[in-house]
Amino acid sequence: MAPPSKPATSKSPASSSSEYKKIAAQFAAAKRAKEAKEAKEASEIQEETKKEQEAINLRERQRDAIEKRRKASFERRWLWNLGFWVWMLIIHIVGIGYFTSGFLLTRLMLDDKSTCASAPTLNTSITGSDSGILAPWKGKGTVDGGCWHPRTFERAVVVVIDALRYDFTVPMDDNAPFHNAFPFLYETARRSPHHAFLRPFIADPPTATLQRLKGLTTGTLPTFVDIGSSFSGTAIEEDNLLMQLRGAGKRIVHLGDDTWDALFPGYFEGNLSRAYDSFNVWDLHTVDNGVMEHIFPLMEKKNDWDLLIAHCLGVDHAGHRYGPDHDEMTKKLAQMNTFISDLAAKMDDKTVLIVMGDHGMDGKGDHGGESDEEVEAALWMYSKKPMFGRTKPEYVTPPATAKIRPVNQIDFVPTLALMMGIPIPFNNLGRPIEEAFVGPTGSAWDNLAAAERTTAAGIKRYQASYFAARGIEQAATPGSPAELWNKAERLVGSAHATKGQERWASVYAAYADYQVETLKRCKELWGSFDLKQMALGIAIMALGVISLLTYVSKGVEDDSAIVENPELDLAEKRLEMQGVAPATETVPGRDLDKRLVRGAALGFFPVFFGGLLQSYLSGVGDWYRGAAFGSLTSIAMVLVVLYDSRDVLLNLMPDTFWGWLAVVFTVSQSVGFASNSYTIWEDSILLFFVATFGFASALSALKLSDPAERYLSIYNSIVFVILGRVASFSKLCREEQMPYCTSTYYASATSSTSAPWQLVIPFLVFLILPSIVKAYLVPSRSYEGLAPNWIGYVFRTGLFMGATYWVLDAADNGNWFPSLPANTLKSFSVYLAQIILGLSLIAGTTAFVWSPPCVSIYTAARPGTSQAQVTVLGYGNAHGARYLLLPLNILAAIFLLSKPMGAGALGLMMWQILALVEILDYNSLTNSAIGPIMLAILGNFYFFKTGHQAALSTIQWDSAFIPLFTIRYPWSPLVVTLNTFAGQILAAATVPLIVLWKVGPPRKGLLTRLSRSFGVFIAYFAVEALATMAWAGHLRRHLMLFRVFNPRFMTAAVVLIVVDIFGMLIGLAGFRCNTLSVGEVFGWAE
Amino acid sequence: MPLVDPVTMSSSISKGAAAKAQSLVKGTTAATSKDTAILLSTHEQQPISLRQTPLAQSARHVFPALLATGFLVRFNALVADPVSTMKTALAVVVALQLAYAVICLPVVGSQQGKPARKPRPGEKNLKKGSLGNGVGDGPGARVYVTAIVALLLSTFLTPVLYAAMVLFGAPFLTHGAHTFLCAAHLAALVLFPIFFVHGVDSASWAAVGSFQAPFDETFGGLVGGVVGAWLGAVPIPLDWDREWQKWPVTILCGIYAGHLLMRLLGGTVLFGKRF
Repeated sequence: MAPPSKPATSKSPASSSSEYKKIAAQFAAAKRAKEAKEAKEASEIQEETKKEQEAINLRERQRDAIEKRRKASFERRWLWNLGFWVWMLIIHIVGIGYFTSGFLLTRLMLDDKSTCASAPTLNTSITGSDSGILAPWKGKGTVDGGCWHPRTFERAVVVVIDALRYDFTVPMDDNAPFHNAFPFLYETARRSPHHAFLRPFIADPPTATLQRLKGLTTGTLPTFVDIGSSFSGTAIEEDNLLMQLRGAGKRIVHLGDDTWDALFPGYFEGNLSRAYDSFNVWDLHTVDNGVMEHIFPLMEKKNDWDLLIAHCLGVDHAGHRYGPDHDEMTKKLAQMNTFISDLAAKMDDKTVLIVMGDHGMDGKGDHGGESDEEVEAALWMYSKKPMFGRTKPEYVTPPATAKIRPVNQIDFVPTLALMMGIPIPFNNLGRPIEEAFVGPTGSAWDNLAAAERTTAAGIKRYQASYFAARGIEQAATPGSPAELWNKAERLVGSAHATKGQERWASVYAAYADYQVETLKRCKELWGSFDLKQMALGIAIMALGVISLLTYVSKGVEDDSAIVENPELDLAEKRLEMQGVAPATETVPGRDLDKRLVRGAALGFFPVFFGGLLQSYLSGVGDWYRGAAFGSLTSIAMVLVVLYDSRDVLLNLMPDTFWGWLAVVFTVSQSVGFASNSYTIWEDSILLFFVATFGFASALSALKLSDPAERYLSIYNSIVFVILGRVASFSKLCREEQMPYCTSTYYASATSSTSAPWQLVIPFLVFLILPSIVKAYLVPSRSYEGLAPNWIGYVFRTGLFMGATYWVLDAADNGNWFPSLPANTLKSFSVYLAQIILGLSLIAGTTAFVWSPPCVSIYTAARPGTSQAQVTVLGYGNAHGARYLLLPLNILAAIFLLSKPMGAGALGLMMWQILALVEILDYNSLTNSAIGPIMLAILGNFYFFKTGHQAALSTIQWDSAFIPLFTIRYPWSPLVVTLNTFAGQILAAATVPLIVLWKVGPPRKGLLTRLSRSFGVFIAYFAVEALATMAWAGHLRRHLMLFRVFNPRFMTAAVVLIVVDIFGMLIGLAGFRCNTLSVGEVFGWAE
Repeated sequence: MPLVDPVTMSSSISKGAAAKAQSLVKGTTAATSKDTAILLSTHEQQPISLRQTPLAQSARHVFPALLATGFLVRFNALVADPVSTMKTALAVVVALQLAYAVICLPVVGSQQGKPARKPRPGEKNLKKGSLGNGVGDGPGARVYVTAIVALLLSTFLTPVLYAAMVLFGAPFLTHGAHTFLCAAHLAALVLFPIFFVHGVDSASWAAVGSFQAPFDETFGGLVGGVVGAWLGAVPIPLDWDREWQKWPVTILCGIYAGHLLMRLLGGTVLFGKRF
């Protein structure tokens, strides 16, 4: 950190703390001089100078004592207040945790394993005997011959090309960089249909690699809760393909993505396998090159392995880093094309080669959700020996789009198992893929029907175990799976009596019906929820909101009790000097926070520990139950304390237009979350609210009597509205908004890099924003002290470096300087980013803590008299101007971490916030709920304007690599958080600005007012979290649950926790530093 | 952002207002120009009562009824082709509003509010002449001139309403005609009557703009039209795939429904009441 020195006063780099002391000393000296003069005047008779000096000294000492006491009292009350917010955070976490545990349910996992000897078709038919379709084959019941079905391949090579979307592999009539670059799969399938086939491969959401691999090996449907474990893969314990192979003594080799290692620890041949780090999305080549380097030697040693898994990540990483619409994607796909054709050439008759995508990618190259583009992958199988067929001749040409003849991803499981002769994993729900079993002629219906029947029988067995474990009865109503099963079995019986292959076609269809229906039922079933837990979570959140609102509503009358009267203050000080106990008891509600925290602790801990003890003694392991009941009792205690101080919810009924506006904004949006449309179009709705507030404040300003204030207020209102509209041009559309929305956040709709013109935006912010900030400080004479240096130079430099970072990044992505050695630009930009973050967050915070107020003090003789006159420039905004430095530091950091469009949007946001606090000040609205609510709305608005949507796929994971080369905990998640919630974090950091803006030192009750504003701010997010939670629970059978309602609930929940934490870390802590600093210089007001 | 010098800004505006006021009606003086910043507390605005002629009293509900009927009749055409329907309808609406103003509304200055503040010495004569030739003047040429001028002023403000709609999120580069015609309808419905009864008296406009004015037909119509337009945006995002959800049909519905309702209420049950 380079401590900025004040050029006029000292040449040596004075540390800010010494400058601080200097200002304090200046003020004290000036005040002393003034007091001395006054004392002189007061004493009518001229006394000796010595006596006078004594009086002054005495007064000085007494004042010091009072100041010390007041400071200590402030720090104590601040701590209690912090305690209250910590309690609120705990309530939020417990409420959200409870709801989530009931809402994002996990499937009941069964430990059963399939074995070779016990085929599921034994004892399942209605006749009670195994009336097999196929005649017994050689080696039936052994792995080498085929446990449940004749074996067709000895070995398999499975190449997973991460994020291989179906349309990448089929010819398309356009010049998109991601089309027609990977023609090998399509060509082979079309030219030699007996050797290869290509079909769309539909992934079950969530489309994260870890969940996909679970589905691809176990054949089950993943549940949503698993997505949280994507960063810490856990071993699969359910029956799966690899487990079966290993159980049969087969050797498995793995190359590529190390997620496999996490899922299947110890499964792979150690000396042959190679795992590579999977989350370094900036690195397009290491994993792929490693796979290619090691896979070809293995082709020469086919006797050393039975299953070879190769997982390439280049296509996925190119998508994450650049989006599909980029040259790198073309290169990557072309490389894969060569790789697969080379590999296919190395196959022998006993080996099947399978190439698949584990999921697709959306328009910008990301995935995780369940939009069509994310779930549509490709599956291609190849055999040197003609093994594959088509049930109809027109099926030879692979489907033109993924909507035609898709197979489910879980279908891979029974297909591979039956081809390799191993038992189908117990939990499988997929069905065999017909091309692989119908024979080269396309007429081996008996073989296909047998495979289908075996699989269906496995499913039936699994279902029976599952229902038994859950204690659910299976009904045989018409259309039910049981009914369909019986129908199919009867068909087998009648088919045996006739001749010809065609009879088996209907048998096959009957079993397929059974499988389809069962899968459908399972999908419904596993959307089943634990309503008790959900209700408990909602209750805790609702009661938490009620207590928060009650807390916020209190103290409305307190404010009027605080009179800004210097004489009263003086009298109070005198009383204090005489030893009369100060403040706490005289001002009602002063120690409210203390009583609240005590009440909350008293309510929480006994029950919580009681729950722990009970769980320990009973051994049930439900230790967390105590948290829920502890939360409820502590809320009850808090409400009792609040009621005690005669605060009732009725206070909350708004009595002004602005109060109503705040309520309408919050409530209408919360109600709107019940509709997928209003959830989808939230960004436009927020713009609508922003404009509504701006126009209302412009009209309201007409009432102001002072013309200057009136015009400035109208002017700021209009600026506020226009800036919001300008920001609204930064858009990242979600799939559901199409076709009524055009994304502008990236260079194109199919890219995740910025266009060259967008790189200019951060430079505009660098040029303009510091001057804007200055213009807001100059009228209150607050552009003094540290402000000119910090805002004019340090902040500006930070913005410049941030803008430069994105140019370097673009140069690196676009390979503008091919002559530079690889990674030069990347290393340079990463170090630059680290410097910016160090400057803004570490040096910035240090400077903020030690900075004196942004004031200048002059002492001059009053002309014509002998009196001294003290002039303090910036006195009227001493609190606000100084506090502003903190949000600016935060802004410099998130400015870097957002992409160029987002950086521009955040610049607009800062400007809007300054306009907002001016508007609030002119219209005397600093105590109204509308201020914090608007700030919260701005926070959410800019969440959308920084390239996000309430959808998992819009998380900008690549931002983790802005200041780092690899994933590092805890920094990477923190960086992604700062990127994702930049808007809300900046809003949380500026809550104190509402209270402190244009507030001079002698203001009382700031802590109470801040706490209330912060409460309103949190209340907005808490109400949203509660509403989305309640709606998601209520609409749990809605078609759009996992596409719209659930992501919105998760966003709201995470946002609530984020604003809770950052509000405390930045807002409350910053307020404390600020007040201490101002109090140190100007004395304590309370 | 306080980049503009407030003093210059304020003086230029008041000068402009004065100039406008002078050019509007002959005989207007700068009586109010010096007092642009009249405190509302000292200038209690009175509600506007309609003219007491039998014709005005019988026509006051005919016009809204005609507007409502016309809107309902043309609704399907509006949904099918918003631009041309709004264009043709605008002429009809303007004609109806002109007739309404001439027949029913008191022209500016004719219903000289009983001043709540005492006229300052030397101000007496000036006040009397404000925007009219005195109390009790019957409808004459002045009424028609005022109506035309009020219409022109409303036309001038239409781009402002258009800009406001865009700021609220209306399409910026597309649907220009849609939005502009919608703004023109809003201006004809809600701004025109206010100009007709208040002229460009800044104190009255400040009261109206800050929603401090008492309810009457004109102010009620303004509040209803604006709030209706605001609420008209509510159904747009819904995924019902209805034709009538297209821009700006719902806004126009909101404008007409809100305007007509509040015009009725403002002239009757809410008359004289304030927010």
